[in-house]
Amino acid sequence: MNMYRHEFKNVLKSTLIWTLSIMAITIFFFSMYPTFSEEAESLKRMLEGFPDALLQALNFNITAFTSILGFYSYIFVYISLAGAIQAMVLGTGIASREIREKTADFLLTKPVTRQSIMTSKLLAAFTAIIITNAGYLSTAYLMAVIVETEGFSQGIFFMISLSLFFIQLIFLSVGVITAVLISRLKAVLPVSLGTVFAFFVINMFSKSIGDEKMGYFTPFHYFDSMYILQHETYNPSNMILAFVLVVLLIISSYVVYTKKDIHTI
Amino acid sequence: MNIFLQELKAYRKSLTIWIIGVLVMVFSGMSKYAGMEGAGQSLNELMNNMPGVLKAMLGIQSLDVSSPLGFYGVLFTYLVIMLTVHAVMIGSTILSKEERDKTAEFLMTKPVTRPFIITSKLFAAAVQVTILTIVSFVSSLAAVYYFAGEGEFFREILIFSLGLWMLQVLFLTIGSGIAAMKKNPKKAPALSAAILLFTFFISIMADMTENLQPLKYITPFQYVTADMVINGNGIDGIYIFLTCILVSVFIWVTYDRYRKRDLYV
Amino acid sequence: MNVIEINGLTKHYGKARGIEDVTFSVKEGEIFGFIGPNGAGKSTTIRTLLSLIYPTGGSATILGMDMIKDAPEIKKQVGYLPSEVFYYDNMKVIDLLNYSASFYKKDCSSRIKELAERLDLDLNKKIEDLSFGNKKKVGIVQGLLHSPKLIILDEPTSGLDPLMQQTFFDLLKEENEKGVTILFSSHILSEVQKLCDRVAIIKDGKIVKVEKISTLRENNYKKFHIETKTPADQEMFNFEGIKDLEMEGNSIRFLFKGDLNPIMGRIAELDIGNVWIEEPDLEEIFMHYYEKEDQGREHV
Repeated sequence: MNMYRHEFKNVLKSTLIWTLSIMAITIFFFSMYPTFSEEAESLKRMLEGFPDALLQALNFNITAFTSILGFYSYIFVYISLAGAIQAMVLGTGIASREIREKTADFLLTKPVTRQSIMTSKLLAAFTAIIITNAGYLSTAYLMAVIVETEGFSQGIFFMISLSLFFIQLIFLSVGVITAVLISRLKAVLPVSLGTVFAFFVINMFSKSIGDEKMGYFTPFHYFDSMYILQHETYNPSNMILAFVLVVLLIISSYVVYTKKDIHTI
Repeated sequence: MNIFLQELKAYRKSLTIWIIGVLVMVFSGMSKYAGMEGAGQSLNELMNNMPGVLKAMLGIQSLDVSSPLGFYGVLFTYLVIMLTVHAVMIGSTILSKEERDKTAEFLMTKPVTRPFIITSKLFAAAVQVTILTIVSFVSSLAAVYYFAGEGEFFREILIFSLGLWMLQVLFLTIGSGIAAMKKNPKKAPALSAAILLFTFFISIMADMTENLQPLKYITPFQYVTADMVINGNGIDGIYIFLTCILVSVFIWVTYDRYRKRDLYV
Repeated sequence: MNVIEINGLTKHYGKARGIEDVTFSVKEGEIFGFIGPNGAGKSTTIRTLLSLIYPTGGSATILGMDMIKDAPEIKKQVGYLPSEVFYYDNMKVIDLLNYSASFYKKDCSSRIKELAERLDLDLNKKIEDLSFGNKKKVGIVQGLLHSPKLIILDEPTSGLDPLMQQTFFDLLKEENEKGVTILFSSHILSEVQKLCDRVAIIKDGKIVKVEKISTLRENNYKKFHIETKTPADQEMFNFEGIKDLEMEGNSIRFLFKGDLNPIMGRIAELDIGNVWIEEPDLEEIFMHYYEKEDQGREHV
């Protein structure tokens, strides 16, 4: 409990900054919806002249895309990018803290197992993510209700919103395993930023060219908001994949962390 | 010269990883091109009439992905994202890492001036950024010709690459300027990342609606756009001018602040 | 009872040498010195004992418990002070000490206060604003606040001024009188000499010798320095037990080992101006051990 409190206190400030930033991004994005829906209206009128067959071939449900949920699933991609960066920085940061601050001699000579150290750190990071998601979810919902007066499917809305939490969990565990594997990780931010953006770009690219297989290589794809919008459910196989991935990464983090040599500064 | 070489050595692992990343991105990206050929002309018509936000939502921008350069243009936007992440990170860490790793005392007590140290470090960073640009240029040429076959692409890909280099240099100096300004240099990478993310999100919002056009001047991500280059318009002179001014200002800030600053030891 | 028992402890780093077959034990209530030059393997041994790194071979028990399996249990009773101390940024001294104390499930607040007063340490300062020496004091308090049964010190005196070093040694002696066992690693022999009952000498990752400090001294040469009024004859010192004879004008220096009576008789024959007979300090004994080892190896 003492370690949990200590770790949590350490990440609290940055968690609040991240949460507020993500909330701010959300507000900005949602406030663009009125402009968007005007533009969408004119598009709808234009599309009326197009043959149905073409639109079907494009797999293009215009009403869904121009609704608040369509808009939301688009902007959500970028919100999840921010969330993923936060989670990965958090994971790498919290797990490499003793190496970076050279406090391994302090913490690891205390009467606690390395497992319990890892558990405290993970729980602290987990709490941070919960806070961010609580802040995000309430802001997003509030904004959606404000900008869309006609109402929308709350189920889909929350499903999309909740995928931020899952994406963050994945990147948190990616961060933790990175930190325990690289024995002297100092450049937390460059490594995290590079990794998250790489996965993000893979996802965007696979979407641009419609390549499904490429999507399996990036956690962003596992909770693709367009999929949720169209199918009104999470993609079950991707969900399992994500779950297995997180469990695997966390278990290996424990194993590596308990087995590894902690060298002198 | 010794500091310059030492810095190149210190980053050789990271540079190798980035070079591999660029190669993988360009080749695996362009290899998908073959499967995209032959999309109908009517599709392009539709695309051209579509409002910005919807194009952005579909991840196609205003590019005709059925043409080799249009397809490469999509890839290019993602190359820009990745390589600017690299540039801003290297710019902010190459100066601040001495203080982060507590080697500042070692370096600063050597018989060299601080401007000399900055020059060596900036050159080392610039060389790496340039290497990445060259790798991207050569591999792009090879990949586009290999996967797309016939055509004249040299001039466009050269302009793309020059634009890429320009943006990298800009973000590199933004990073170094921040590192020189911050009292606690450990926070420099975080602030640099925040600026990068901020401008990235601004760029996305500017893409989404016509009303936000003026924002294009404050986000470098709008300085070099794929459709401009493909349409034969190259890079708008105003953006080149703006970049030159910003780069000079940030270089001046880097030298001026770092010279006068108390080291954080 | 042995507080520390090390059995054939070995640690390899890839191909590089770590420690090889280190075996010794530390008895309860003892102050045990662990000496050797930089890079001999002192820290590797200690870090293995604390299960910061894991051995390639061999085993050790501390307070009768297995060093790896029972690590958390052992650490309740162990205080550790490394040569360089680093703590978390953005914490006051007292916050760090309270955090440290929170691991031991007992009230350490009065002990913290007492130790801080003894060491003249300001508890309300931020740790990153402290000088190296003051950080070291935080380390001392941090290592002692939970009244451990075993104190492990890895080159602990660097950064402390002589006065503070004395206070620190006094603290250690007080603890020792209460029955606390101390393992003290150092390359500075005078401090080991001052404090320790027995020493283990380590070199190139191997234990060269485990010996009582007193025996180390007894089995050794005495240093003679004689000043004569008239030059003496070199022949007079052609004498069993004399080594490293140096004669320069009226000054005679040599090392002697053996029965003192005949040599004193011989000296008495001289026209003496002044005479010094000194115990060699540990430094010299130490060098002596090292030389012997090296020579031994050359012959093999």
